[in-house]
Amino acid sequence: MIPSAFDYEAPATVAEALTLLADDSREVKVLAGGQSLLPVLKLRMADPELVVSLQQIDELRGVRMEDQTLVIGAMTRHADVAREPLIGAHAPLLARAAAEIADPQVRHRGTIGGAVVHADPASDMPATLCALEAQMQVVGPSGQRTVPAAEFFEDFFTTVVEEDELLTAIRVPSYDDWGIGYEKFTRVAQQWPIVSVAAMVRLEGGSIAEARVALGNMDTVPVRAAGVEAALSGAAPTQEAVAAACASAAEGTNPTEDLNGDATYRRHLATVLARRAVLAAVADAGA
Amino acid sequence: MQLEHHFEVPASRAETWARFNDLEQVVPCFPGASLTEVDGDEFTGSVKVKLGPISLQYNGSGRYVERDEAAGRIVIEASGKDRRGNGNAGATVTAVLTEAGEGTAVEVVTEMDIGGKPAQFGRGMIQSISNKMLDKFLACIREKMTDSA
Amino acid sequence: MTVTEEHAPEIGKARARKEDARLITGRSRYTDNMVLPGMLHLAMVRSPLARARITSIDTSAARSAPGVVRVLTGKDLTGEQGSMPNAWPVTEDQKAPPHPAVAEETVNFAGEIVAVVIARSPAAARDAVELVDVDYEPLTPVVDLATAARDEELIYPELGTNHSATWVFDSAEAGTGGDIKEAISAAEIVVERTFRQQRLIPAFMEPRSTVVDPTGEQLTVWSATQIPHILRVMLALTLGIPESKLRVIAPDVGGGFGGKLQVTPEEVITVLAARHTGKPCKYTETRSETMVGAHHGRDQIQTLRISAKADGTVTGLDVHLVANMGAYLGLITSGIPILGAFMYNGIYKFPAYRFECTNVFTNQVWTDAYRGAGRPEATFAIERMMDELATELGMDPIEVREKNWIQHDEFPFATVSSLEYDSGNYEAATAKALELFGYDELRAEQTRRRESGDVVQLGIGVSTFTEMCGLAPSRVLGALSYAAGGWEHAQVRVLPTGKVEVVTGVSPHGQGHVTSWSQIVADRLGVAFEDVEVLHGDTQVSQRGLDTYGSRSLAVGGMAVVAAADKVIEKAKVVAAHLLEAATDDIEFSGGQFTVRGTDQGVGFGDVAFAVFAAHDLPDGFEPSLDSDATYDPENFSFPHGTHLAAMEVDTETGQVRVRKYVCVDDVGNVINPMIVDGQVHGGLAQGIAQALFEEAVYDDSGTLLTGSFTEYLVPSAPDLPSFTTDRTVTPSTTNALGVKGVGEAGTIASTPAIVNGVLDAIRQFGVSDVEMPCSPSRVWHAIQAARVGSGAGTGHTGTGGEEARR
Repeated sequence: MIPSAFDYEAPATVAEALTLLADDSREVKVLAGGQSLLPVLKLRMADPELVVSLQQIDELRGVRMEDQTLVIGAMTRHADVAREPLIGAHAPLLARAAAEIADPQVRHRGTIGGAVVHADPASDMPATLCALEAQMQVVGPSGQRTVPAAEFFEDFFTTVVEEDELLTAIRVPSYDDWGIGYEKFTRVAQQWPIVSVAAMVRLEGGSIAEARVALGNMDTVPVRAAGVEAALSGAAPTQEAVAAACASAAEGTNPTEDLNGDATYRRHLATVLARRAVLAAVADAGA
Repeated sequence: MQLEHHFEVPASRAETWARFNDLEQVVPCFPGASLTEVDGDEFTGSVKVKLGPISLQYNGSGRYVERDEAAGRIVIEASGKDRRGNGNAGATVTAVLTEAGEGTAVEVVTEMDIGGKPAQFGRGMIQSISNKMLDKFLACIREKMTDSA
Repeated sequence: MTVTEEHAPEIGKARARKEDARLITGRSRYTDNMVLPGMLHLAMVRSPLARARITSIDTSAARSAPGVVRVLTGKDLTGEQGSMPNAWPVTEDQKAPPHPAVAEETVNFAGEIVAVVIARSPAAARDAVELVDVDYEPLTPVVDLATAARDEELIYPELGTNHSATWVFDSAEAGTGGDIKEAISAAEIVVERTFRQQRLIPAFMEPRSTVVDPTGEQLTVWSATQIPHILRVMLALTLGIPESKLRVIAPDVGGGFGGKLQVTPEEVITVLAARHTGKPCKYTETRSETMVGAHHGRDQIQTLRISAKADGTVTGLDVHLVANMGAYLGLITSGIPILGAFMYNGIYKFPAYRFECTNVFTNQVWTDAYRGAGRPEATFAIERMMDELATELGMDPIEVREKNWIQHDEFPFATVSSLEYDSGNYEAATAKALELFGYDELRAEQTRRRESGDVVQLGIGVSTFTEMCGLAPSRVLGALSYAAGGWEHAQVRVLPTGKVEVVTGVSPHGQGHVTSWSQIVADRLGVAFEDVEVLHGDTQVSQRGLDTYGSRSLAVGGMAVVAAADKVIEKAKVVAAHLLEAATDDIEFSGGQFTVRGTDQGVGFGDVAFAVFAAHDLPDGFEPSLDSDATYDPENFSFPHGTHLAAMEVDTETGQVRVRKYVCVDDVGNVINPMIVDGQVHGGLAQGIAQALFEEAVYDDSGTLLTGSFTEYLVPSAPDLPSFTTDRTVTPSTTNALGVKGVGEAGTIASTPAIVNGVLDAIRQFGVSDVEMPCSPSRVWHAIQAARVGSGAGTGHTGTGGEEARR
């Protein structure tokens, strides 16, 4: 497994990285944790002329609170996302999903920003960040812009990040009194999920006040189950009410068919897993 | 895999037929495609596929296998191989044009065959991806035929 | 000279493996670790098409690329490369196409080698692969096995058929039993089922690698192989190299599971590359190449009919197989399904039996040995059938087995398939397994879950297996038209200081032979475990051998070691008698001491060894050496057996299947090292469970392997499996003096049907009668849906697998 030859740069600052990305004369690829890019390079399904590693850029790493918002550096590794106390306290759904990514080796190399920009519809982070209504902070030659998760993903492996731009941070609002549930359905532990569901609920006065449900691998991009969320709003936190609300989880989705299941099966799984994730979130919220 | 599409354009059957027989119009509609040479019914060209980190370039050739104006039937066959030997791809596009009121109804059946690494490592996505590319291709053709109508 | 205390026996001790300290601290030497002066590196150009005619190959750009020394195509090697060997022509009229190592005219599976780049570095070789421009004229691929069997499109028109051979065993003709037609026509019940043995990939940990050094007097070949000795003979025969000019070394080898029981095109190519360049050459495949280019396993369609009386007594068994050879016949491709022929009757007393197998070519990589090789397929089918029979008759699956199995007092037992089972006790193993499992409690829980309509249903899977191990009796292999024998060789060398070197003809690749052989010899010669060195895997050191496969190493190779050690003792006794001034007949040997019967006079093994080395004072005419060779060819196979029980939980909403509890009681005869035996069982279970639930090699219609990486080819890891409860009963084999039976394949063979039977036991209540392997959640869910909708139509043949891919 030997990739084609390429030039390699590891700048120390975002500004230097952007300068390298602006190089029009070469095909450039950004390397974060390398867990998706390296296999593609080794399989020679890509042959960039320049690989720009973000590993040396300290400003892209780490988690902090700004007002009531978590700011997570794009180069923060999954393992750190999973165990960072600030995330555990304010966005436990994100910590939970990060802890379920692949295997320990991948979690100790792979980064949240890399996973998000790679935009594999089956991976854990995109759907989770949609449920969390995260904001993606993108910087490029014309300055910085912030894109809501819902508008960030465009297609299989495609986001709004342009070739001369970098994702620098992910901003996640606090969900201090929400319950969470995460269902990742796989055949073997290290597999991409066949379907995943990230759910959060906030209870108020004995009923569900708000709910967030996002589906992974049910389309070319992560999908918010808006119908389910609407039906849950104001619903009783009971098995029956949740099941009824989640029956429409697969509405409007367009899942890929593969060896692990056809679209019919995936749509069915989405309803079952949505119900289970929401019920877990309800239990977690203390109903 | 076989993919089926159906659409209508406001142009007449004759106009639509002419467009379908103009490679310079048809080929560039395919995402990433470019023509390098046209020689009668035959052509050579390439298709670049870029999807996140993956980039493939198929170089190959194609031809009109069938042009039956009376039946409104066109069959185009194209095949190519990735420039780095990652695999091969082939497609046979059969379009049937029929009059539909003022306009023309177009039935397209595409037989696609993608082998090698994209199929081997694509986690089943290759089908959705080819489907999407074909959607774009036909949407573009439809648009061109509508614009010109 | 006085007698010292007895050694505690080494046999039976859970010794930590001698090999491990070196292997797990990175002091291993695999083939790819070899670095030789001036070594060149190979990379292969492989066909992306499953069937095509090669119209042209332009190597000019590759040849002029930096670092490239040479590019070879099939045309360059015509007349020199011969045809890859098949050592098992199962019938006299077996048909097979020529199989050049590098394709010459056509390619017949995606992944077949069409050109070879030889360069100064692996990267230069890999870069130049992209520059080799191959033009193909695509031909219609024949991928599906059933379609291929219908002969509508011929892969090799010159053969006139896609059928390679049809092999039949009929107990009436063989005189080992009755006529199956009569049994079926007289039956009170006949059950017929068809099963699909999916294609599997042997997923060994170390990819295959070969290094060839042509610069010495002998051509030296290092290879990641299970079979250095067979490889040497076959390379000599295939390439016309005098065998004496070939030395083959299997250094550390990281697993094989049958996948390295092969003479590979890559090995032949590396030899030819070394010959063409005059330089040492190395080829190491990538994992992606392993998946498409190394042989696969299983892949059969099995149709069985069991005839029985209404009380569950079986009266006959009729087996029809269609076996997928793939595009070519590898070393023993053709014989794999035939090995199963002797095992379909399992542990049961079938009065009549007929077996018919048709070997069929397809445009896929060829199949060959994979852990169990023919016997797991047989065991799966018969154990599934016993459950089907139990279901049809409303009997408990244990009860129907008890009614038909061979009782412990009926051994030795001549089976309907012409074997003689030497020993066994199915009652004892089953009783122990049932107790460890808590069978009655689990059945009660199953009833409770059923009655309450629990989302998670419980099923209990039973598998009572046996297998023929210790491949082996040369005359039997001869009768089956196998090209070689089944004996094994060993040598015991006694060093001047009394330390011992054991040379074995088997070739370990993870089994721990060095440890087990040390334990055997330590006991036999009364030397310390640490003082035994086991040498293997190099034809210059281990001059005779038939290598490791078919659970043969201990039952055959271990016995050769025993025989050689016994010859050492006989020689040493003569010297001891001389030193002790006694008659040889009066010398006893025990615990490393030679003593004169009825006295306390004795001499130690080490003292005798030194006396022989010095040779100052030896009996007249005594040749001054204790070293001894033995070649052992057993009279019979050995027959390990066991009872495996699986408690399976099926989530009826999602189809997800979980192994809740797994208990197995294996009878592998006497145990040399219980820790190694447990390790073999654990690994085997993981592999067998993987066939039932996870693994499947899937090709699409055009012959592209869709499961070409571990992303899609699902090999389970620790989180996917439960803690196994393993135990043993011991009925020593009477075939060999060690009383051992072999354990290499037991777990793999027994577990697959236990798991599938358990899954079905959970969901039969919904009308599901079968779920095709692997029982993926999608298949299980679709089976339940189909059964609920179509009242009893659920077979689980829809759902995941090739279907979606082929649509």
